[in-house]
Amino acid sequence: MRELCEHAVAAALGAGASYADARGVVRRAQVVGTRNQRVERLDDTESEGIGVRVLVDGAWGFACDRRLDNEGAEAAARKACAFAKAAPGGQSRELASVEPARGEFRTKIERDPFAVPLADKVELCLRAESALGHESVKVTSAAVRAQREHKVFVSSEGASIEQELVECGGGIDAMAASDGITQMRSYPSAHGGLSSQAGWEFVESLGLEREAPRVGEEAAALLRADPCPSGITTLVIDAEQMQLQVHESVGHPTELDRVYGTEAAYAGTSFLKPDDLGSLRYGSEHMNITADATTPGGLGTFGFDDEGVPAGRVPIVQEGILKGFLTSRETAARIGSGSGGSMRADSWSRMPLVRMTNLHLEPSEGSLDELIAGVDTGVFLRTNKSWSIDDKRLNFQFGTQVAWEIKGGKLGRMLRDATYTGQTPVFWGSLDAVAGADEWRLHGLTNCGKGQPGQHAHVSHGTAPARFRNVQVGFKQ
Amino acid sequence: MSGLDLAERALGAAEGDEALALVHSERSGMARFAGSAVHQPTLIENEVVELQIVRDGRLGIASVNRSDDEGLRVLAERAAEAADSAPADPDFPGLAPPAQPPPVEGYDEETAALTAEEQARLAAAAINASDLDLYGFFTSGVTEMALMSSTGLAVSQPMTDVAVLALAAVDGASGYAEQTGWRLADVDPAEAATEAVEKAKLTRGAVELEPGSYPAVLEPPAFAELLAYFAYDAFGALGLVEERSFAFDKLGQRVFDERFSLADDALDPRGLPKAFDFEGTPKQRVELVEDGVLGGVVWDRVTAKRAGNGHESTGHAPPSSLRNWGPLAFALSVAGGEAESAEQLAETLGDGIYVTRLHYLSIVDPREGIVTGMTRDGTFRIRGGKIADPLVNLRFTVAVPEVLAELPGLTREPVLLNHNAYYDDRYATGLLSPAVATARFDVTGVGSGPGV
Repeated sequence: MRELCEHAVAAALGAGASYADARGVVRRAQVVGTRNQRVERLDDTESEGIGVRVLVDGAWGFACDRRLDNEGAEAAARKACAFAKAAPGGQSRELASVEPARGEFRTKIERDPFAVPLADKVELCLRAESALGHESVKVTSAAVRAQREHKVFVSSEGASIEQELVECGGGIDAMAASDGITQMRSYPSAHGGLSSQAGWEFVESLGLEREAPRVGEEAAALLRADPCPSGITTLVIDAEQMQLQVHESVGHPTELDRVYGTEAAYAGTSFLKPDDLGSLRYGSEHMNITADATTPGGLGTFGFDDEGVPAGRVPIVQEGILKGFLTSRETAARIGSGSGGSMRADSWSRMPLVRMTNLHLEPSEGSLDELIAGVDTGVFLRTNKSWSIDDKRLNFQFGTQVAWEIKGGKLGRMLRDATYTGQTPVFWGSLDAVAGADEWRLHGLTNCGKGQPGQHAHVSHGTAPARFRNVQVGFKQ
Repeated sequence: MSGLDLAERALGAAEGDEALALVHSERSGMARFAGSAVHQPTLIENEVVELQIVRDGRLGIASVNRSDDEGLRVLAERAAEAADSAPADPDFPGLAPPAQPPPVEGYDEETAALTAEEQARLAAAAINASDLDLYGFFTSGVTEMALMSSTGLAVSQPMTDVAVLALAAVDGASGYAEQTGWRLADVDPAEAATEAVEKAKLTRGAVELEPGSYPAVLEPPAFAELLAYFAYDAFGALGLVEERSFAFDKLGQRVFDERFSLADDALDPRGLPKAFDFEGTPKQRVELVEDGVLGGVVWDRVTAKRAGNGHESTGHAPPSSLRNWGPLAFALSVAGGEAESAEQLAETLGDGIYVTRLHYLSIVDPREGIVTGMTRDGTFRIRGGKIADPLVNLRFTVAVPEVLAELPGLTREPVLLNHNAYYDDRYATGLLSPAVATARFDVTGVGSGPGV
């Protein structure tokens, strides 16, 4: 595939490109899903192709072809250049300088997930599902997934990189319904379970079958729980919901392409401006956020991004002050800081975009119990249920599957249908504690959408439970 | 090689009791622009072959995007392994029988023939028509779906689609417009850009609004998106069969305003026509709501078999990657009303808010149909029956059934709204929706102002 990418780059230069890169990708994915003791999905998909990105007179072109042969590579290169030559707009684009990289990267795995028989995966799902069972639970479901991506990157500047990324994951859900109320509990995470860049040993470590009885019982108990009352109160948010909070209200706003408006028509922009760097107070002094593409097990971990920039670790927020953006070579050049490192494409048929890698809320000290003990009256929230944030990432409203009342530093009754809302910098300004490293967990999600045509990114967030004061729960009365 | 030819070769490689091959090809281009310059162009050539193999009532599915003999051999091997790994499903309905799909429109030679250079020029037509910075895209594509099975099914359909999305925006002002269709002649990029610019210029000086319940006019893009989020779960048979959805205990009941009628109709040439679903079953028009009465839901073969009671597929099977959603209403069509324009709806309300477009919706409670999200790119106060002062983006949290419970008016002519973010393989879908006036739209907060 390396030769093919070199051929594509040469064809692009021959067609007038001043810069060209080519990515050859072969990706295989398996999904096994069961629902109410029936196999719902048993899919094995493989997709391959080459994507060629060019700059012609400062204009971008990108075209792709499924054929991994010289004909496909040349066709993609020619079409990318033809489009760039016809592209409208005053074009002037520069790329931050980077040393052309040559290297390899492979995910370290103990057990190849594609060597695990499909029948074993089905059996695991059915066993876990069976353990979810409860009288009030109408729908039980379980799923496991695996993915292997082999890709080669070659650029006209001399970069030549080969990578193999392996990830897998799984999860279970129980949906209870009665008397017009429907409630869901999930483990270890909502919206498709939890994934990691790892071998099958990660799925085995999740303990889906072990946790299932508790998950089913909690779903049923939610039918009898009181609705979460509205009001301004103290929140303790579990690590899993914190990953969503970090993702939506820190990750996306700090993508520098959004700051410059390139997502305006679809996913939105950012309340941040380029010159906020180094001075904007994002949150309280307890807020420390780091982008780290080297985190073991992270879905955003790689050797090199899809522009050939080596993986690195970048501070984004330090003690509440904005210290960095997620960048591409183009946006890094524009702001005159950094050299990219966050460009990722979701397949051979998509152009790389600025995406999160692994974005972490750094741990502080203490335990979840100690966070709760510091609350006289409040609510403890666990597991995301709904999420929405405005187009500049300011006003958000998130809901969780389950909540518990906090009274006198202890958990009380279970509550259902909890939501909370806020304005991003105000909310982060109310952060008064983050739990310590023992409570810090890495959460991998696979449904981060951006771009047109749309792209799904797989990203991870390391988070610990955190406490926020004076937050609006529910709606103003 | 045609899609059916490739499907036949894939079937030839399959070893099982029954097998079905689905071929989906795509040639598309998208010129996405920001700040009036193209920044994310994407030209795609792809062809995916999916093979479903049935062995002893067990179904396995695999797909590749190769068409050589070795690729098809690997495909058949993986689908067979998947089938052998599944326990038998007593409710497996079998593969669809042969059927003659209804004749539909939805293919246009001129659209299919658009080159990359022409797609770039059409994006330029939008950009050049705007005196504000323009964000959005022009896209067109030609796709073909072909299904062939060992049960004698052999259907194929070539399709074209075209769309332009225009967001005219500067600091403190933004306006939105879109056009979509299956013929290039259905869209005018310059006209869409001009409409977006005119809307944007009205949004300067936006002010906040106190949270509360307001009468509202929802333009077609806003109403269609709200309805689509509700429909995912409410109008599919899976939630009904599982006794957990909004429709579960309400079929036959008047639950909405009698002015509201809703169908799913993929055969309508005003939409993006489809002749058959992902199981190969011919598409049917399904009356979901008639004069406010909840009439039915959409079915596929899987849910129909599971429900029994004489239910049959209505031609709404999803692609295999969305099987966990069950059958989906991909072609919602809202019946028009009496109003000539959205402005006339505002006159009807007298006082309220006017919403152009929504952003980042999320389902808070599927059973109750509660959805939250933001307004954007053209939110206004209605005073004295006129569109008045611009508003900042509003957080809303609404029970969709309450929004639909009292509709003082709908515009006469539904328009086609693009319903694609173009993730994964291109399968263009759209909704036909008028603008509506509702007596109740719950604003629960305020967000950022208009503009970039």
